[in-house]
Order: sequence, then C-alpha cells, then structure tokens
Amino acid sequence: MPEFDVLVIGGGASGLRAAIAAKEAGASVGLISKAHPLRTHTGLIQGGLNAPLDPDDSPESFAADTMQAGDGLCDSEAVKTFAGEAARDVLWLERAGTPFNRDAQGKLAFRAFGSNSRNRSVFADDRTGHMALQVLYEQLQRARVTAFEEWYVTSLVIEDGACTGALALGLRSGSLEAFSARAVILATGGLGRLYAPSTGSVGTTGDGQSLAYQAGAGLVDMEFVQFHPMIFPAGPGLLITEATLGEGAQLVDAKGAAVDTRGLPRHQLALATQSSNGDSAKIDLRPIGAANIMTRFPQTHELVKAMSGLDVTQEAIPVRPAAHRPMGGIETNASGETSIRGLFAAGECASNGVHGASRMAGNTLTEALVFGRRAGEAAASHARLESRKSVSQSRLGDEENRIQGITGENTSGDTPGKLHAELTALMDQQVGLVRDAAGLDAAIGKIRGLKDRYSRIKIGATTRVFNYGLTGYFEVGAMLTCAELIAVSARQRTETRGAHRRSDFPAKDDANWSAHTTARLVDGSPAVEKKPITAA
Amino acid sequence: MKYALYTGCVSKGGCPELYPASLMVADRLGIELEELHDVGCTGAGVLPQGLSDPINARTFAKAEAMGMPIMTICSTCQGVMTQANHRLTEDPEYREEINRKYLADEGLEYKGTAEIKHLLWVLFEDIGAEKLQAMVQKPLAGLAVSPFYGCYLRRPPEVMTPPGFEKRATYLDDLIKLMGAEFIDIAGKGKCCGFPVLTANEENSLAMAAKHTGEAKEKGADVMVTPCPLCHLNLDGNQPNAEKQVGKEINLPILHLPQFVGLALGMTPSELGLGKHIVSTKVVNAKVEMLS
Amino acid sequence: MEVTFNAYRREPGEAEYRRGVYKLDLPEDATIMDGMLKIRDEEDPNFAFRGSCLRGYCGDCMMSINGKNTFACTAKVANFMNRPEIALRPIRMVPVIKDLVFDWDAFMWNKIKVLNPWIEPQESTDGVRTVPDKVMADLRNAMSCYYCGLCDEGCTVLPVDMKFLGPAALTKAYRLAADPRDKNPGEHLKMAQQAEGIWDCVHCYEASEHCPRNIGPTERIVQLRDMAFEKGITNERVARHHTSFAASVKASGWLDEARLAIESEGLTNISGLMKLLPIAARAAIKGKAPIPYLHHKRPGAKRITEIFEKGDERGK
Repeated sequence: MPEFDVLVIGGGASGLRAAIAAKEAGASVGLISKAHPLRTHTGLIQGGLNAPLDPDDSPESFAADTMQAGDGLCDSEAVKTFAGEAARDVLWLERAGTPFNRDAQGKLAFRAFGSNSRNRSVFADDRTGHMALQVLYEQLQRARVTAFEEWYVTSLVIEDGACTGALALGLRSGSLEAFSARAVILATGGLGRLYAPSTGSVGTTGDGQSLAYQAGAGLVDMEFVQFHPMIFPAGPGLLITEATLGEGAQLVDAKGAAVDTRGLPRHQLALATQSSNGDSAKIDLRPIGAANIMTRFPQTHELVKAMSGLDVTQEAIPVRPAAHRPMGGIETNASGETSIRGLFAAGECASNGVHGASRMAGNTLTEALVFGRRAGEAAASHARLESRKSVSQSRLGDEENRIQGITGENTSGDTPGKLHAELTALMDQQVGLVRDAAGLDAAIGKIRGLKDRYSRIKIGATTRVFNYGLTGYFEVGAMLTCAELIAVSARQRTETRGAHRRSDFPAKDDANWSAHTTARLVDGSPAVEKKPITAA
Repeated sequence: MKYALYTGCVSKGGCPELYPASLMVADRLGIELEELHDVGCTGAGVLPQGLSDPINARTFAKAEAMGMPIMTICSTCQGVMTQANHRLTEDPEYREEINRKYLADEGLEYKGTAEIKHLLWVLFEDIGAEKLQAMVQKPLAGLAVSPFYGCYLRRPPEVMTPPGFEKRATYLDDLIKLMGAEFIDIAGKGKCCGFPVLTANEENSLAMAAKHTGEAKEKGADVMVTPCPLCHLNLDGNQPNAEKQVGKEINLPILHLPQFVGLALGMTPSELGLGKHIVSTKVVNAKVEMLS
Repeated sequence: MEVTFNAYRREPGEAEYRRGVYKLDLPEDATIMDGMLKIRDEEDPNFAFRGSCLRGYCGDCMMSINGKNTFACTAKVANFMNRPEIALRPIRMVPVIKDLVFDWDAFMWNKIKVLNPWIEPQESTDGVRTVPDKVMADLRNAMSCYYCGLCDEGCTVLPVDMKFLGPAALTKAYRLAADPRDKNPGEHLKMAQQAEGIWDCVHCYEASEHCPRNIGPTERIVQLRDMAFEKGITNERVARHHTSFAASVKASGWLDEARLAIESEGLTNISGLMKLLPIAARAAIKGKAPIPYLHHKRPGAKRITEIFEKGDERGK
C-alpha cells in the first residue's frame, strides 16, 4: 500500500507545483493524475500569465486590477498575497526553463491581456500553458516525486474527521489501491465539461469538487462560472485567446458593430459576443498581420485550420461565449487548507477568494503557481505534525464492493454518456450565461431527475484495464454533483454580479449580496449559506 | 547542356567504378561536363554546418563563376549541398557573412544563384523522358529492378522536392520503367540504407541493409539501382556482413544509377565496371547478354 | 450521416485481436473522436482509446485512420468516407495494451526519462537573465512538440532497433541542451550522446517529414551533433570517426575513406581492425580498395584547411 507524507491528486499546473513544493519542503510526495500530466488541461492555456514584473509595475496595481475584475467579491487578503507573491513564482517558472517571449533587448516581453490596466502578462506565443506544463513536469521529475500517471481517484478517505488518503484505480493495472497520506492536496482542475460547447478538455469534470463535497467540505461561490467571450464553435469549442485583442484583432458583435474591448472584463465581453437573430459575433485577426499571426499565434492558426479549414490570416471567424473556468470551488484559505483537517486544495478546483465573481485573463496560471506552491508547503508542514495513519483494509474492501455494485448488466436504458449529453444541454440553456428563477428551478428538478436515473445505471465492464467507461461513470457522477451545486447556488444569489447574470435580478445588490455562498452536503442534499467576505 | 561536375569523394574512392561510368553515360547522352577540381568535401552530414556551409559556399561560388549548373552523382552530396544552398539563398545576411569571413580572402563571392542537380534530375528535367527513351538501344526487358533512392535525394521534402518538383520523388521508379525493365516496388525504397551509423551502431546499420535488400529479393528483384554511392557502400559492400548477421543469403546485386542507364544505352557490364562490385552481378550480366 | 467504424479491439494480455464493427449515425461535421465517444457511451463502455484535449492541442489520440496517422479529435469523419468502413488502428510498432490504448511508456515516455529531462535552475536572483528572443523562439519551436509520437512512428531506425531513443526523445534532449539557463551546461549534450542516442540516428529526415508541427526533429538531432562536434564528442567510436573525417577533409579537402575506416576503429583496437580485413580483402580483390593514407591532396586543399582554421577561431 503506497504511503506518503503528502498525496497530490491532479497532474496539471497547480498539482505539479504543489508536489514540487512539498517535496522541496522535505515531504515524501506521491502524485496521482488521471491523464498523463503532459495531456492535462493546463496545456490549453494560451494567452499568458500575469505578474507585476515590469520595474514600473507594482503588486498594488496588479491587486487593484484583480479586485476590479472580481466585481466586489474578492477577498482582499487573498488578493494581496497573490499579487505580492506572483512575481517570485513566475520567475521561478522562468528560471526552470519556460521560453517566454523576449523584447528587442532580450528582457521578458509583456503582452496586453484582458482587463489588466497595463501590459503585464508574460507569454510563450499562444502556447503558454503547453510550455509551462512541460517545464513543471520536468521539475516534477527533477524533484523525484513519485508519479502515478493514469490513475483515477474514486474516493477520499476520511477517518475521525481527517483526510488520511485516497482510493484509486490504476487504469493500466486495473487494480484498486489505497494511498495513505498525512495530507492530501486536491488539484483536479475545473468543470468545463458540464457545458457544451466549453473550453474544457475531457478531464475537466469537477472530480475534486465532488470528492471534497462528498467528504463534507464546503464549496463556495459555485454559481460563478466564467464564460469566455471568444469561442470558435468547431468541435467541442475552440478558444481564441483574448491576447489577440491586445495585439490588434477586431471584435465585431452579432449586429456587425465593432466592439471597443479595452479594459472590459470577461463577463462583459461575453455579453458582447452573444448571437443575435441567428447572426454570430466575429473576431477578425487580420489587423494583427499575417506574419505576426504566424509568429505570435501559431497554434490558433493551426487549430482553427485543423478543426474547420478556415484561415485566420484570410478571414474573420465566428465566435460565441462558452463556459470556461469556475471562480467557485472547494473553500480554502490562502494556504490551501479546507474545512477538513489534512485536506488541501489548489488551482481551479479550489476557491480562496482571489477571483471573486470573475477572474481576470492571465490570472489562472499565476494562481495555480502561487497557491499550488503555498498548498504544497502548508501540506508538508501539516504532515510533519500529523501521526501516520494507514488506510484500513476494510475501507479498501468497502470501495471494492461499491465498484462491484455498479458493474454488471445495465438494464436501466441509460448510459453515463446519455445523461452527460442531457446535462450539458440544460446547463447551457438554463444555468448558462444568463439565468432566471424559473429556469434554475426547472434545471434543479432536471438535475435531480438525472441523478436519480444515474443511480440505476450499471457498467458492463469486462475488464478494469483502461476502462474509461467505468471512470466515465464516476466523472458523470461528479458532474451531476457540481451541476446541482451550481444551480442551487445560482438560484440563491438574487442579483447580477461578475459572471453570474440573472435576468430577473439584473442589478448588483451590494446590500444583500456582498457575500459568498457556501454549499455543504447536509442529509444527502446541498445546503447553501451566505458567508461574509474577508476584508483587509 | 554543360555542367560543372562535382564528383564527391566516393566515386573516386570506395566506389571507383562510379566515376568512369558516369563520364561514359554523360558523354553518350550529350551532357558536357567540366569537372570541379578545386573544391572540398560537402561535409556529408558529418561535418557541422559551421564548417560545411563555407566549404559548400566556396563550391557554389566557383560554379557560379563558371556560369554552369553543378551536377552531382551522389544523393548525399546532392542533399547536403541543396540544404546548404537553401540556407545560403534564403538568408542573404548569412550568405554575406560567409562570403566575408571565408571567401573574400580568395577573391570569391557566392551570389546565391547556383543550381545543383543530381544526374537523375538532369535525366528528367534537362534531357527529358521522351528523348531518353528514344536513346535506349537495349530495353532491359525481363530484368526485375527495385529502386533505392538514398534519404538525402528526397528529404526534407520542402527543400528536395519543393512545389513544382514533386515528381523528383519518383524519378527512379519512372526511370526503371523507361529503360524497359520490370519495376519491383519496395516499401523501403526511400528509407535509410544504414550507412550513416556504420561506425556508431554497426548492428543497426547491417540490419537496415539486410532489411531493404531482403525485401527487394523477396519481391523478386534481380537487382537494385541506387543514385547514391554511400548506399551502395552499405548495400553492396556490406551485404556479406549483413547476410551473416541475419543468417540468410540475400545475394542482390546493386547497380549505380549510371551503370543501369548505361546498360540500356547498350554499354556492356564490363565497360561499366560491374565487375568491381562485391555482390556478383552475374544475374544481370546474363540477362543483359540474352537481350543482345 | 450513416457510417461504419471498423476498430481494432484487443483484450489485455491476449495475442489475438478482433475487429469491432459499429454502425453509427453522426452529424455531418462529426470528428472520428465524436464517433468513438458515441460507441463508448452507447454501445460498449469497454472500448478503450485515449483522448484528452479534444481539439488538437495535446497529441493523446494519435492513431491510424484508414491507414493515415492522425488525431482522432481533428479528423473529420467526412474526409474518411472513401472506404465502406473506416478503419481505426493503433499506429505502427507500438505495443498495444488494450484496443487503441497503447504503451506510451515503452514507446516514448521512458525514453525521455533516461535523458534526465529537466534543467537545473540557477539560484534565485531578483532579475531575469537577458536572452535574445531568437534563442527563446528556437526553444519555443522545439517545445511546441505535443508528444504525439509521429516522428518516432516514421523513424527508420526504430523498426530495426526499438531501444533507439528516437526523434521525439532526442528533440526533448535538444530543448534541454539548447536552454542557456541550465546551471549545468553540457550535461544534456552528454546525455544525448548515450548509447542509442544521437549517434545512432541516421539523419534520414523521415522524422521531420512526419512531424505535424514542423519542429524538424531530424534537424534538432543534427544540431545536437554539431554542438557535440564543437564541444567534444563523448562517444569514443564516433569521436574517432568524426576526428578522422575532419582531419582528412582539413588536410586534403577530401575524405580518405580507408583511413577513416581504420581510424574509426581506433589504431590500437586490434580486434576492430581485424574486422576490417575481410572487407578490405573483398574490396581489394575487386580492384576497388583505396589505399589508406596515400590520399592525394586536391588542388585548393590549402583553402579548405583555412576554412577549418577560421572555423576553429570562430568557435573560440
């Protein structure tokens, strides 16, 4: 039975950074990732990552922009920590080998990105995430962290109110194993796959949020799901980075009017790209110039062509808003601690108050680095004080029985894929960019109906080796859990703020809603409470 | 049609039969040659570009001054020179730097206009298939022939077979048919013969030689033809060792491109130096004799 | 749109494979990945294949579709309707674990691991070292590799020697060796020269032809060899070969092949030299053996010598 001081679940940026930090702090570290780390969603990040690195920039200015985008819901202490430590973590990534673009003097180049009030984003063409991910994985190997690649975590182990490990299925071996740990870090990423179209890769199914919720942790601000304004509707949705706007691309709304995008946070941009009477908004990259497109946005050019045959150097392409990243998630403090002892969370699955009601472009990867590191360090400290407890054999046996219970002949008439398709349709229509009470009530009812049908599904697994049918079953379960949390939290918040837009409550209501929502599992269903914002 | 002949090392060294055969066939086809004597080795992919680019620029400058395109008789020479020329013509600054640092002392300058063509390309692009076919005196009917290009003659494609020259990728196939022989296609015709790793990994090198010659033999080829003398060194010269390594007889004679063309033009195997090969060309000699 | 997929199916540990035939009704613009997901969702949860990003970012779903190696997630079904059944197969040479899931570890990841694939970061400083963007752009190009394995799939050496590290891993070696920020410069150039490394590449340019991202894995290996030539070749046999080659060209303008063969073996390597004897004897009988060291200078050899000398100066 594998035992570690710190067990990290998730092989994207925050998980890798957390594992490296915990190892460097002296802990023994294991990392479980359901996909190979180099295939995780971090690789899809394009435009850049923010840090106040320019000599005449400042953490204060960066914090102010982040707060501004967060539309009144950021925790200022968390933002202060974030803005204050961003430079150090981004420089760490640079020194570890990320080939960021340089200016004519060979210094780091900064790109205009999103609603940053100045050029503050370092970047590697439009493959920033792909490059950063490789460097993080390189450093993971340098740190000699034990990686369990292509393992799927089915449950957390909670004993006497503390998290003592996890149970996971090895896709290659097909075997279920118990991992004991003094501290566990959830870094499982976002939940884009609840929506279609979305920007999410296959694995963004809200696994960590669901695991933490089932274990009793609080989930905050789940109603805030950011819609990215510029999704080219090919395949599952192809994101055109906002960095193109900073370098001259022209956005034209569905009525044909040019949009002045300067300083607009994402949730406002997303409103501008909604379709109208069947017409689409369009993004025109041609003002950037063909040569610059090929050198600064080579991947955008390549993938739009691969998915549709269109050439962005030759024509404007249609875009629409689509689900991108959550602001809400597992409730943590700035050290990644959750409400459960020994359980930490970082990155997109977590919510520490930095993003508030809307995250600023370029903050996601920086946040994964800063709070991934902090969670890794805090978990290593925690592990030093925690006595060793091994996951009991009986717990492993119970999990084995649970999995046995869902395998067998499926007579339900449903499949996880079918439920997933129904879920994404209703999320897009009723829990999407614009919501109202009637739609949310209907959605909550439908989601509960889906959960009910889900409970009757069985998976006809002949082998557990690379049985994505089986892991897909768990993923759809996690998505249904997250969907319900989003819908009930959204129903509760009777105002419009940041990424949460209610057509029946179109104004911001600071008097009643300068507060987070916290959802918790109570008697089998989510109970939502208000939680005050931590002020400086 | 007049060319500056770049012989390369091997046509006068390891494969001394190639040079005279090339001259004979060129003469018969009306290709005038003026040999480049005062030039260096291309680097053959062994010397670093920092050294081989200046040496090749010097060769190009000399041919440019003669006002003639360069003709090669070696896929490796052709490939290395074409790639070097690509760098030197695409990037005038780089060319100027090399001119300044390496060629100016000698009063030379490479202006970037050299044309470099392998004999195989000359056959199709300057003589032409029709004229070539008309010159065939002894169609090689009944001789089963597999092609083997040598990597450098076809790759990298954006340099070796650029738009407008895609047909270069199949000239050898076409030539075999044009000479009246039976064309035996093999999957390995564009792969590596193994020669480049003869020093570093002899086992792999011989395995490749055995693989490609073995494939041709199995498919019924009497003989293989190659425009690359380095491939010839491995496929012919090392065939006995390759046979020993894989534990089976292959016994496939390998012809140089001009030898093959020469046979169809009516020259005899002994004139063309077939006797100098390591693998006996008896089968070829016999079949060719039967044709006359 | 009615289509039929004919997919490679194999259970773990079994030698035999079977073909799974699936009739599907798909939208006109569906991708192969859409169809495969539909099979898994609706017909057979046991149908195993990988896929992650779904839009061409990550390289996880590389497979052979009607004999063409490509990504299931960007391949449109409509472009593969030239056959009655669309054939889905694993790519050439890879060991299969189950169905279309193959062993990336054996095929590629393990080969990258032996290169110590990380740079040693410099100690923390306040600033960032100034580096020309040209150097970084070159790294970005090499690092745009999404580990799809198509270069390895096209490699000429791997079919005769699966132990060869292959162009994908060696492109990674290039990215590491070319990073000016490594605290231990030269370390990765050494790693790249290990047995089954850059010196076993035949530079046939197949890898570059197969690379869907124009990274030029072959060129990267050639660049590593050029770097090694300048900074010191650590593979002894290759060092002897290259030194002899360069010495011969430097002295005479041309290559003395016989001398090269002898010096590559090493003048004190008796068994290696003995091995050359039968080759030399066979050649001598046929009247084609050049005599070593009796290699006449060509006209202009002095000029070539000068180029070498200038090259040496430049390197300093």
